[in-house]
Amino acid sequence: MKQDYFSANNIKYIDYKDVEILKKFLSPNGKIMSHKRTGVTAKNQRALANAIKHARFLGLLPFVVK
Amino acid sequence: MSEAEVKVENEILEDGNSQVYELGYLLVPSIKEEDLGVNYGNLKELVASFGGEIITDEMPKAINLAYSMQKVTSNVRQKFSTAYFGWTKFIMDTQKVLEMKKHLDLDPNFIRFLILKTVKENTIAVKRFARGETYRRPKTKSSENETVVPINKEEIDKEIEALIAV
Repeated sequence: MKQDYFSANNIKYIDYKDVEILKKFLSPNGKIMSHKRTGVTAKNQRALANAIKHARFLGLLPFVVK
Repeated sequence: MSEAEVKVENEILEDGNSQVYELGYLLVPSIKEEDLGVNYGNLKELVASFGGEIITDEMPKAINLAYSMQKVTSNVRQKFSTAYFGWTKFIMDTQKVLEMKKHLDLDPNFIRFLILKTVKENTIAVKRFARGETYRRPKTKSSENETVVPINKEEIDKEIEALIAV
């Protein structure tokens, strides 16, 4: 993913409930991918990390995948 | 009428005291499916009782949790691997939200909940539409290629004949 996924798809607000999108930015172990791998802008990467953390808190995404 | 309504909503937002919030919550799986509507109605009433104006919401749905959660109620530790997940979006006074949080903290039906500041616009529907677009792109490319091929048939035949002649 070279281009920013969120601006390419015209997503202005990254929602923690949209688990299918957030899953794209998780490694096989469930860790958040670095901005180097995601290609997301710094602003969106921060919003993305927050959204993933909110989804984890509510049990929608795992903290770790064994 | 609609313009007037919009103005009223804007005034509420411009107060500086009101904000758009979202409450995401997990309900205890021991609630029966029939009683889910009652809990959902109670929550709506609770939001309304604190002066909240509900924008959108979703009925709680049974989900499998990504990891097991624990909650201690009256000195008994309970483990959960499934729950009912639901959310509501509403406009509320910033001070009232804190009061509502204190109220929700004591509610035994909640495993967990999360109150976030958000935007008024629907955030999920836009994404689904956008995702559809990304899948359409390769289709349009392939259709372009197909239209180009039949036009060149005669030219290709001539080229092949020329090659055979050589």
